[in-house]
Amino acid sequence: MLIKRTNQRSLRHGSVSESLAGQGGGLDRRSFLRKSGLAGGALAALGTLPLGGVRKAEAAMAGPLTVGATVRKSICTHCSVGCTVTAEVLNGVWIGQEPSWDSPINRGSHCAKGASVRELVHSERRLRYPMKLVGGQWTRVSWDAAINEIGDKLLAVREKSGPDSVYWLGSAKMTNEGAYLFRKLGAFWGTNNTDHQARICHSTTVTGVANTWGYGAMTNSYNDIRNAKTQMILGGNPAEAHPVSLQHLLEGKELKKANFIVIDPRLTRTAAHATEYVRMRPGTDIPVLYGMMWHILQNGWEDKEFIRQRVYGFDDLRKEVEKWNPEEVERVTGIPGEQLKRVAKMFATEKPATLIWAMGQTQKTVGTANVRASCILLLMTGNVGGEGKGANIFRGHDNVQGATDVGLDIVTLPFYYGLAEGAWKHWSRVWEVDYDFLKSRFDSKQIMETPGIPLTRWFDAVTLPKDQVAQKDNVRAVFVQGHASNSITRIPESLNGLKALELLVIADPHPTTWASLSVEAGRKDGVYILPVATQFECKGSRVASNRSLQWGEQIVKPIFESKDDLEVIYLMAKKLGFADQMFKKIKIENNLPEAEDVLREMNRGSWSTGYCGQSPERLKAHMKNQAKFDMLTMRAPKEDPEVGGDYYGLPWPCWGSPEVKHPGTPLLYNTNLHVMDGGGTFRPRFGVEREEKLPDGTTRKLSLLADKSASKDSEIQDGYPEFTLASLKKLGWDKDLTEAEMAVINKVNPATPDAVSWSLDLSGGIQRVALKHGCVPYGNGKARMNAFGLPDPIPVHREPIYTPRVDLVAKYPTLPDAKQFRMPNIGFSVQKAAVEKGIAKQFPLILSSGRLVEYEGGGEETRTNPWLAELQQDMFIEINPADASDRGIKDGGWVWVTGAENNSRARMKALVTERVGKGVAWMPFHFGGWLAGKDLRGNYPKGTDPIVLGESANTITTYGYDPATGMQEPKVTLCQIAAA
Amino acid sequence: MARMKFLCDADRCIECNACVTACKNEHEVPWGINRRRVVTINDGKPGERSVSMACMHCTDAPCAAVCPVNCFYTTADGVVLHSKDLCIGCGYCFYACPFGAPQYPKVGNFGSRGKMDKCTYCAGGPETDGSKEEYEKYGANRLAEGKLPLCAEMCSTKSLLAGDGEIIAQIYKERVMKRGYGSGAWGWKTAYRETIES
Amino acid sequence: MASFGRFIRLGVGAWALLLLVIVAPASSGAQQVNPTASSVKEQQLLQELNRIQGRVSIPDQRSGVLEQPQGREWREFRNVTLRWIGGVAIVGMLAVLVIFYLTRGMVRLESGRSGRTIVRFNMFERFVHWMSATCFIILAISGLNITFGRPLLLPLIGFEAFSEWSQWAKYAHNYLSFPFTIGVVLIFLVWLGNNIPSKLDVEWIKRGGGLIGHDHPPARRFNAGQKGIYWIVVIGGGLVAATGYVLMFPFYTTGIEGMQMAQIVHSIVAVLFVAAMLAHIYIGTIGMEGAFEAMGSGEVDVNWAREHHSLWLDEETSRTGQPRRAASAAE
Repeated sequence: MLIKRTNQRSLRHGSVSESLAGQGGGLDRRSFLRKSGLAGGALAALGTLPLGGVRKAEAAMAGPLTVGATVRKSICTHCSVGCTVTAEVLNGVWIGQEPSWDSPINRGSHCAKGASVRELVHSERRLRYPMKLVGGQWTRVSWDAAINEIGDKLLAVREKSGPDSVYWLGSAKMTNEGAYLFRKLGAFWGTNNTDHQARICHSTTVTGVANTWGYGAMTNSYNDIRNAKTQMILGGNPAEAHPVSLQHLLEGKELKKANFIVIDPRLTRTAAHATEYVRMRPGTDIPVLYGMMWHILQNGWEDKEFIRQRVYGFDDLRKEVEKWNPEEVERVTGIPGEQLKRVAKMFATEKPATLIWAMGQTQKTVGTANVRASCILLLMTGNVGGEGKGANIFRGHDNVQGATDVGLDIVTLPFYYGLAEGAWKHWSRVWEVDYDFLKSRFDSKQIMETPGIPLTRWFDAVTLPKDQVAQKDNVRAVFVQGHASNSITRIPESLNGLKALELLVIADPHPTTWASLSVEAGRKDGVYILPVATQFECKGSRVASNRSLQWGEQIVKPIFESKDDLEVIYLMAKKLGFADQMFKKIKIENNLPEAEDVLREMNRGSWSTGYCGQSPERLKAHMKNQAKFDMLTMRAPKEDPEVGGDYYGLPWPCWGSPEVKHPGTPLLYNTNLHVMDGGGTFRPRFGVEREEKLPDGTTRKLSLLADKSASKDSEIQDGYPEFTLASLKKLGWDKDLTEAEMAVINKVNPATPDAVSWSLDLSGGIQRVALKHGCVPYGNGKARMNAFGLPDPIPVHREPIYTPRVDLVAKYPTLPDAKQFRMPNIGFSVQKAAVEKGIAKQFPLILSSGRLVEYEGGGEETRTNPWLAELQQDMFIEINPADASDRGIKDGGWVWVTGAENNSRARMKALVTERVGKGVAWMPFHFGGWLAGKDLRGNYPKGTDPIVLGESANTITTYGYDPATGMQEPKVTLCQIAAA
Repeated sequence: MARMKFLCDADRCIECNACVTACKNEHEVPWGINRRRVVTINDGKPGERSVSMACMHCTDAPCAAVCPVNCFYTTADGVVLHSKDLCIGCGYCFYACPFGAPQYPKVGNFGSRGKMDKCTYCAGGPETDGSKEEYEKYGANRLAEGKLPLCAEMCSTKSLLAGDGEIIAQIYKERVMKRGYGSGAWGWKTAYRETIES
Repeated sequence: MASFGRFIRLGVGAWALLLLVIVAPASSGAQQVNPTASSVKEQQLLQELNRIQGRVSIPDQRSGVLEQPQGREWREFRNVTLRWIGGVAIVGMLAVLVIFYLTRGMVRLESGRSGRTIVRFNMFERFVHWMSATCFIILAISGLNITFGRPLLLPLIGFEAFSEWSQWAKYAHNYLSFPFTIGVVLIFLVWLGNNIPSKLDVEWIKRGGGLIGHDHPPARRFNAGQKGIYWIVVIGGGLVAATGYVLMFPFYTTGIEGMQMAQIVHSIVAVLFVAAMLAHIYIGTIGMEGAFEAMGSGEVDVNWAREHHSLWLDEETSRTGQPRRAASAAE
């Protein structure tokens, strides 16, 4: 099937040498380089030389790279930076990777993972054909048989236990189109139990940030960080997790002589480049941030004008901050007051300042509150909505932002419309199906409008007593397409879930730990593996962390028998009997839905988030014209015929229909720009005013709209609510609507067309008119320091469930037990029991986890890639030299790590290092394929086992869920380590 | 004449290993052979620095000097290459090399070596440029295609620079001037008997 | 030699590093940590340790050595020092032997041949000797090729032929090391009893071994000169074997310095060994009448034994009665 690359290479090289033959045998390379303009070109791009020279050189490079080979561009599938991958393809074989100089995001660069993606489509260890477990043996089946048997079983489960008993676990690895269809599949199946990796990476960010100012996403871009005078990273290690972003961070640091502050429990590879490194105790982000705010308020460094105009709830916040004097902060976090004061001063006074975070803040029981506190610090210092500012939230997977946006989630339909009746009706209009049909797919209207079960709790939903799971029945079947099982905490308990399931379907390029652990759990049947292609074998759009959409071409056809995500979804829908309804408006060819059509359908329904302007044609034009976008502003020159004035990738919100030609919004909430140039305001999403009770018993009403602040050249120079037909009428702007637009509006809500808003108007007319008058369709509100409605409207420090500081639990306990997302959350009881049982004495080390640069996510794909696997061959735990010598542990020696729950234990190597402080241990979370010291290599289908296996960090991690999102807590727990 | 050199700006290197896998990818270097590697000094301590290292293509290359069979040669671009047909796998170049560049596949008797393999500066070997034989023995010949080594071209932070020594020194100097401090042109003094004033 | 100074520097450097490590935690107490400003500097590290080592994640730990400029010193040794030592030792020895031969000629049997022989070395002893000797000669030639082949042989036969020959020479060198090592061990065991130095040796040496003039100092089975050769073979052979195996199984037991040291010891001992063996070969062949027979047929003329190993002859005669004729000698 695969043609050996060397043969291809020789062809390629042959032709090159032929083309050079005219220059004689003894080729003078210097003159050749000079002639082709390359010597200077490629080099200039390396430095920080003026861009003019680079462009010229790059233009010289634009010719065919290799005679006979075609060049195709896609997007790296490993993290959210969104690096363009340039592939040379000859006779259907991917023969080489070239630097993508034209991409304004990666400018030729890659990290270890990006530079090795070619291997993914050459791997001999990929799944080759569908398989099922028969009597404990992996047995080959045909696609037809697999789909039929899976479908019959799903329908049987549905018959017996209802649609909510099937858990649809999708993936941030899918394209927007795949993730969107997967969510749609859930909707047509009749459940909200559809989730993906965002749950365990940035669900808390999305919730916390959206609840603060409107949208749950990175406000600026990797490139824009170059503008910052102060870069502060709290809870992130981009040098290993997002290496190419460091290009922008470090160049920014150099050119601006910027402060580069890293606050982290570990001296990470990122911290090694800091101008100020602050070591903190894991799980104390809120005290750190409040500690900074205390100094800021004490010294009057806050941005008073910004707060007055654009912030709600400052007085409530002040009360909480006042509790965190330097002594208390040092007692809780371990950071000396002087250092924190210095950091606070830099952040508040050396502006613009940006705050960068990743999973260090989010993967906690207080994740939502953490990111809220981060937003509050930005608001307090006026560091949102402008160049070099903002919440630069580095998301994890390549399309985790997109998969979140398209609603592959338990709490919402696509594009954050929620689950209320209005949302379902909106999507039934977009999908052109009857609302009643959709309703009939669900057990009840009530459950249709109730958030589903977070993926972190899938096995609890299988194994808990039926009466504790707030739906018709327990989860009985799991269909997982592109999600690791070893990224979910409490692995020992997940084995019970794996055993109890009636059906497990694993659709993935690799068998993953779902396969090896389900065999380990004792399963003999009822497990199917479907080979799915990598994204390099598919086409479609993906969203980088900065909200830019990038269209990836199909580089090679799916290898072996693997199929495109979209095809698998279509085949399932067809088998389950609703393909005709679900794909009504989407062209199907050989069972493969056309990605472009799927995107067009998304464009038609995604007004709320501004995904409406990014047509496939525009996105493809961007990829074609990458070189025209400025590296710093990411904007193309206005006069360009194809992409003139656009920001690269049309970062959402890209308002109106594609014809409106909105350029995209590179920086959210930036009032310095006209909305048609990407300007914006905070989104008034939580009402226009709020009644507050005063101490004397009286009440007062406070406006939630901006005060005398608006985006540039807005015709309303003050706060305003979202646009509806009614508000257009009030302003007299309804006359600007065309007849066709009015017709659509009347069709959307024939009873009360006035109520049709900017997000429901399928004509885009309301948006168009608002934009015409320089207004932001969603309105102009205040950001909320007080996010009423959340469990902690003002963030409150709460100790981790398993904390070594039991002395602090009484003062800072976790939230009381409650029911959330159809499941009980008994964090409070677990924390209390841990304190009473003296767990912290038995397990004195704080255990945290994180990424390695070589691996990604659950790691099966990257551990299967020899070029990466060679670089990290053993699972390890980092331990401080002092802790190691106490325990007689040597660097590189084997150790047993034991955890606080389930008598969990794991065998791995010790890495004795001062990266971690005393009392803290750290593990990478990418390993799998071992359990409690046992090598599970034999559990994989033959020939598909990853090269490198190892213990999973999540064997040791423990209970703990964020009340607002169901996020797990793998960043702080307790463990003990002993030499093995 | 051009004088091709490598320069790793240690202030930028983040040990992301892109250079390592780019090299593996471009030349399909087998498991166990590391033409390029990243070493982290003072790991986990303040002052930690990572440096990407491969063959530096030294001036008056020690490997060439000590080779018992004289299998090394220096190209017009200053790239130090060798002939695998002549190499006898004695390992002497590894003892002389200041940078640990030579690699040996364990195909020889007693875990000793096969033909030495090392970074070619993406310039292949003695065979015809771009020929199949050249690719199989030494990997791709990017230089002949007018391209620079892929490790440097793909470096995530533009830390690793490749190209004519004077040009990359110039780029580095500008950087140093802008940021106000140097990171030392690691290995230059040893490899090229010179350093970059900064 | 340069490398000793290097080791001293290394020791000092290691102490400095240790001190740094001990002091470091105190300073990393979060007060003022600026990793950018405190970054390590290449020249400083080189001055302190003359090498730079760090952490790598790949299992090949030798790749953790980022820089080892002492490779330069090793290069100097290999390309200059060793060639001088080897050249002087070997050419010098050859010159001495030639001069000696020209002036003294072959040492004759003064009393002529008696016609009667005595067994000097039995079959097994001869087998051990010749196995070792054959290996040694091939090892010596293939070894010298590594040091001297490039300037001397390569220009004569060209790259391809020289590489081909060197490749085979390397294989031979590697494989024959095993029988040679066994030979050295057997030599050590078989003749140990006859090679313990004694007062006689002092006398023998004082009288110059009888090489000058017509003196015949008394000796038992082995005279002091032969004992010297024995110990050269045992100690030298042991050293080249030990260092040779270190070189053959690279980095199993040591790092880069160890490898360089092993090569240095191996090559110096080897060239001196070769020089010594040249003398041994000389005296065993054209240097002395009747000597070759000892390792040839294993039997020497009784008169030869009387002249060179009088005490041994006496012992043998008293033990076995009459010296025997060749044909019946084999035991």
